[in-house]
This record gives sequence, structure tokens and C-alpha cells, in this order.
Amino acid sequence: MSDIKDRVAIVGLGTTEYSRNSGRTSASLVLEACIAAIRDAGIERDEIDGLCGSNRVIPAHQVQGALGIPACTWWANPTVPFQHQLIEAMNAVHAGSAQTVLVYHGNYRATGVSRSAIADPFRERAGPGFNVLASDPDTFASPVGYAPWAGRYLEQFGVGREVFGKVAINSRSNAIANEHAAMRKPLTMEDYLSARMVREPLTAFDMDYPVDGADAFIVTSTERALDLPHVPVLIHAAVMGQTDLPYEDQVTDLGHTGQQIVAREMWRRSDVRRDDIDVFFPYDGFTIICVRWFEALGFCGDGEADALFDDSWDAATNRLLLGGRVPVNTHGGSLSDGGVQGSNHFREAVDQLRGTAGARQVAGARHALVAPGGMFFNSGGVMLRSDG
Amino acid sequence: MSEAATDDEVLAAYPNTRIDQDNVEHYRGRLERRLLVNRCAECRLWHQPPRAVCPRCWSSDVRATEVSGRGTVALHTVLHLAAPSAGVAGGGGYPLAAVDLVEQDGLRFTAPIVDMPEPRIGDDVELTWITRDGSPVPAFRPAGAA
Repeated sequence: MSDIKDRVAIVGLGTTEYSRNSGRTSASLVLEACIAAIRDAGIERDEIDGLCGSNRVIPAHQVQGALGIPACTWWANPTVPFQHQLIEAMNAVHAGSAQTVLVYHGNYRATGVSRSAIADPFRERAGPGFNVLASDPDTFASPVGYAPWAGRYLEQFGVGREVFGKVAINSRSNAIANEHAAMRKPLTMEDYLSARMVREPLTAFDMDYPVDGADAFIVTSTERALDLPHVPVLIHAAVMGQTDLPYEDQVTDLGHTGQQIVAREMWRRSDVRRDDIDVFFPYDGFTIICVRWFEALGFCGDGEADALFDDSWDAATNRLLLGGRVPVNTHGGSLSDGGVQGSNHFREAVDQLRGTAGARQVAGARHALVAPGGMFFNSGGVMLRSDG
Repeated sequence: MSEAATDDEVLAAYPNTRIDQDNVEHYRGRLERRLLVNRCAECRLWHQPPRAVCPRCWSSDVRATEVSGRGTVALHTVLHLAAPSAGVAGGGGYPLAAVDLVEQDGLRFTAPIVDMPEPRIGDDVELTWITRDGSPVPAFRPAGAA
């Protein structure tokens, strides 16, 4: 089989409002994003022959039924985070299992991650959702695992919590410039440092902001993309990374996680190098994940992110500009655009590479690196490019 | 010693935990205040969390085996907004640590910590037992506290 590099493209994009209270079902939001993506791609529904989402959001057959898509020959419902859906679709198109895949994701502010959600009777009936904490408190399994590793990071490298605060402020500053973002209240380091602890050393500012919202993408061959209206965004290299100790409390150390597997493979597979990147999307569902993406991918050494952030801080916009040039999570990330397990990082990357990011547009952006997922068992990396 | 607890007794003693055939021996051990960790009877490798097969030699002769409970702190946190659990006060700080057990490099067990207001990575700890909702729960305290 021929090399998959640059052979599959994202040709359609759809999103919905991100909000705390949509007053709608998650399925309704996903369908809105799907319809928008199909129209954006300039295709008819009967051209879609593949579907890829997550059973935890809405199963593929329900999307097909609700949208009246007549015939599909391939579908998959991998688990979150979102890079799995896009990478599976890429593989399916390249293998010929499907020609045009509708890829979708959505999040619903469920009672398991948002205590205030219990006041809404529809949310209460919908149940706790996913990524919930275990009922047994004596475990680091579940999202709890990021807190002790954040603490180990601070202790091991002897840095202060400000390193995490800078990630939160960067995301917030970018969100303030993005009307789509759900959380746009200014955030200062004083605000960050004085917030109450949720799971030490992490506060609510270190954790994604739960929203109702959805994103959708149309994925097809690059060959076919050339006949469609938008500048195609090519999937240049895509990697999943996981180790043989994929348990939150058994991971050997911060230098032996899925992130290192991703970095090794990304720089082996990609012709686009670190210095070629125009906009960077390290997943920020927890600030510690984001900090470690900079280090694992080699933007700086282990434990050096705080110094990198200081060297890269753009005082005028109160955010990161790597090398004085490359912004990070221009949409506001999971922390401020909204927590949707990473689909919004890809949405913003596509907008940037199409040149349709509005006031947030990075001039001449051609290369975007998305580093989604977490550290323990679902790390990922996707290099996207366009030729404008 | 009295007879070992039945499966039904173990399930009843830990109602909030997903107990199955792969980890029930560990929880049976808790009722006798013995900390049991899975060890391969063929290649002698310990592993956590409990699984039915040794990850190194793939033997299924894996036995829940008592550990000393001595080790050093590898990871720690305090949960302030933990999920509601029977026997745990809501909202209060709940200190939790993963301890590198002396039995094998990198073998960790996660449990509450007691009498450690400012834990540090590398602190020497030993096993103790607390009671929660009427059942024994393993915990760690500073070494030599007894």
C-alpha cells in the first residue's frame, strides 16, 4: 500500500455554539454540526459512505438515521479523546473502506463532571456521562491521575504552580479573542494562584471547562478534495502513543508515557519539522498534559517549560508566541473555548490552515501540530498542512 | 484464624468497588488486614492492578501474595472534591498516595495516607489499616510510626 502521508484530507467543517446550558440534547448539537460540515464541504448526503464518532456521544447508526444518509459501507465508534475518530477515518479512506467519512464529536455538560448540572432535570436523567470519578476514592484511575503527576512534576523539577497558570492564562487570553469560546472572563496569575484546590495541586483553572457543544468534519481522499470548494487540509502524519504501563499509578515516570511514543514517531514520520510549525495545539484538558506536550515534543527540555513560557510570553496579547511567532491553542483550548475532548483543537487547526480563522488568523499558516489526548493511555499527535 | 470470607461477604464489605474474579482475593485479604498483590508463581513478577495473566511470561498462575507494606511515596495528592463515597466525608481533604513497594522496582500501590501532613516524594512509609464504612482499608503512614 502506498504511503498514507498527505493522502487524506479534511474538506468540511461544522461546529455549534459552545455553552453551559444549550437547553438541547447532545445528539441535537452533534446533528447540527454534522449538517454544517456536510454543507461546508459542498457535498450531498448520499456521497457520505462512512461515519465515525463515539458511542459515548451518539452511535453511528443514530447519526445515519437522523440525517437520512442512504448507504454506508464503513463506520466506527472509537472511544474518546477525539483524535481516535479522525485517525480511524483517515485509515478507512486510505484503505478504501469508505470514500467520504462524516466524523463527529460532541460533549454534554454531564452531572459526573459538573456539580451544578444536577439542578437540570434533563441532565440528571441523562446520567453522569463519561470521564467520571470512580466511586472508590482510593484510586488514581480516572481523571484523578493528573493531579498527583502534576504534583510530581512540580516536586521533581522544583518549579512553582505558575507553570500551570501560564497555560491557563494563555488559553484564556486566546479565548477572549474568540467569540466562539464559552469562557472569556479575564484571568490573572493572582486569580490562578488564589483559586481553591480541587485535587492538589490542581484547581478548576487547571481542568477543562465543561460545555455543551459539538464539532464535525468531512474526511476524504486528497485526490477527491481537489474537486471540492475549500483549501484541503491534509493529514500529513498521525500517531497514537501508548506504553506497557498504561495505568495512572503505575506509569514509570514522566519520561515514560504515551507522549514520548508520539514524539518519537511524529518526528520519524513527519517531513514537517518543529521549526516549520505555524500554530501549535497541545491538548489542555489538564494543564499538566499541556506543559508536558511542550517538553515531550522537544520545544524545550524536561522541566524547562516554565522558562520557555517566560521567554515566549507576548506581553501585548498576554499569551504565548513561541519564537516570537507561533501562537498556542488560538481558540482558547479545552480550558476556555470549552472541554470537548479535543475536537475543537482540530476545528481551530483546520480554520487556521484554511485561512478562515478571522481575527485569530495566523498570517500564512501552513503547518499545524495537534497533540491531543492525555499521558497515560491515549496520547496522540496529528500534523496537518495546507498549501493555501 | 477464622475461615476465609466468602465471595458474598467480600462483595458486601466493599459495596463501592468493582470487585470481580481477578481482584477478589485482594479484597478477601483486606478483611484479614493482609495487603495482597498479584505475583506470578512461575517468573515471580509482581504486578498491579490485579490481572489474570502475568504481563511478562503470560502464565495464568498468578497468586495474590502478601507484601510487607513498606515503601516510599511516589505520587501524592489531596482530594477536595472527590466523588461521593460511603464513609468519606464530602468536601474534606482526602490525602492519597501511590507508594513504590520494596518488593519490586516500580510496583506501586495506591491508598490513603495518614499522619503525613506534608508528604514528599521519597518519604519512607509503612502499612497501616483504617476502617471505613465498617470495613478495613489499607493505608500508609510514616515509617517507624508504630
